[in-house]
Amino acid sequence: MTDSLLPFSVFFASIFTGNILLTNYLGMCSFLSVSKELKTSTGLGMAVIFVMATTTPLNWIVYQYLLIPFGLEYLRFIVFIIVIAAFVQLTEMTLERYSEPLYQSLGIFLPLITVNCAILGVSLFMVIREYTLLTSFFFGLGSGIGWFIAIIAMAGIRQKLKNAKIPPGLEGPGIALVIAGFMAMAFMGFSGMIALS
Amino acid sequence: MKIQKQQAMRTVLYALAPLCLAAIYFFGWRFIATLVVVGATGLLCEWLMARRYGFKITESLFVSCTLFALSLPPTIPLWIAAVGIAFGIIFGKMIFGGFGRNIFNPAITARAFIYISFGVPMTAAFVGNATQGGWFPAGFGSWMSQADSVSAATPLVTGDASLFELFLGLTSGSFGETSAILILLGGLYIMFKKAANWKIVVASLTSFLLLQSIFWATGLQIATESGLKGVSDPLTALLSGSFLFAAFFMITDPVSSSQTTNAGRWIYGAFFGILTVLIRTFSTWDEGVTFAILLANMFAPLLDTLIKGAKAKKKLKKAEGGKA
Repeated sequence: MTDSLLPFSVFFASIFTGNILLTNYLGMCSFLSVSKELKTSTGLGMAVIFVMATTTPLNWIVYQYLLIPFGLEYLRFIVFIIVIAAFVQLTEMTLERYSEPLYQSLGIFLPLITVNCAILGVSLFMVIREYTLLTSFFFGLGSGIGWFIAIIAMAGIRQKLKNAKIPPGLEGPGIALVIAGFMAMAFMGFSGMIALS
Repeated sequence: MKIQKQQAMRTVLYALAPLCLAAIYFFGWRFIATLVVVGATGLLCEWLMARRYGFKITESLFVSCTLFALSLPPTIPLWIAAVGIAFGIIFGKMIFGGFGRNIFNPAITARAFIYISFGVPMTAAFVGNATQGGWFPAGFGSWMSQADSVSAATPLVTGDASLFELFLGLTSGSFGETSAILILLGGLYIMFKKAANWKIVVASLTSFLLLQSIFWATGLQIATESGLKGVSDPLTALLSGSFLFAAFFMITDPVSSSQTTNAGRWIYGAFFGILTVLIRTFSTWDEGVTFAILLANMFAPLLDTLIKGAKAKKKLKKAEGGKA
């Protein structure tokens, strides 16, 4: 594959073949707790897309121009979390101050995903796979969209299951994990389409 | 043990009966052994779960078991078949609350589970068709057809069968997927009896043919390990592999498909057809049908919710407009 096409192949691969939720099983906690309603799932999914698409390139800049020159690569876990948390808090405050409707639909989910492992995971994968700035952005965006697709599909399924007689021990997160397993099985069908390296 | 009667499921079973006979004729009596093992294991699992949680045992179980048995390769070890159906019935159906609640088609969850877990017996152990050794008694005279070497690849991979052979089903492949004519007859029967919705079938067939024609017409070449490979023409692609079988019997399952709106049915069917072509063409799997069904099942509830929401909004707007 030519280098100029790499961002786009990474974009599609991170949605389908390497879905952050269904192949790496990251971001499970908020996925399980919020996916009961379609409306909240959509809001949270949008927030994840936004945060992933912005923090991944941001962390790339921090890593390349701050951590590497000072030889502090081993601090990246802490630094990435601080960057994500600070950025998310700032966005939330800005939204609350300037755009009430946007804050209502998106902002209230932002604090929820500050510590979402999928978001830190995307930043760490970006370092391991040695992406460029542009590729990092598309990787973050694609991972966010992949997460969004998975959570709204899950919300649809859980709404359908509302009146189902699920065995007592499996209600709630139990059955959700089983469904997530089936979803991951379905997404295995995409394997080999575009490689994510 | 009480088994709940379901007329629609009986219709499907009648439609599957010729396919079962054909499976014996093409691949030998071993099919009956597979069917019995699958049916008995499925019934046992359903009975255990039903007894424990107070569900009903329904006739849909036998449809799931027959569909699953027909989708297996002729050399499948019987214990793998048993593991598959146990998974499909318990995890695919019963833990969601029994019949009518399952999100995914139990037969296809069973197949997908063993497809992923036992790659070689599921993909590389096909035997040739018994009719290669003469028209009669063919499979009726043997336990398992030995017409060819055990690892005969299906026409889906080799692409060397004629349309005539594919249409009658004289090729290697899974038990019930080879004969297009019998699938068509059975499929038309269940559509006529309204056990399957014709919109889903038509949508999936047209979208499949359309996308495959586009790929074929543009002369797409796919890079594989053994070099570049072209895309087969739409008719061959339609008749080889298990697409027809799935389009008529698997995705039309009234529970796991999108079944509340007509728009949902069209989109659902088209989604399945397109995904099958994409997965067949681009992914590492030879046969995309299994995963395409799972994916279509996965998005069906969301599709239903979205369409219902859009309709409610439209109605609301109309009502408001009428007032003003």
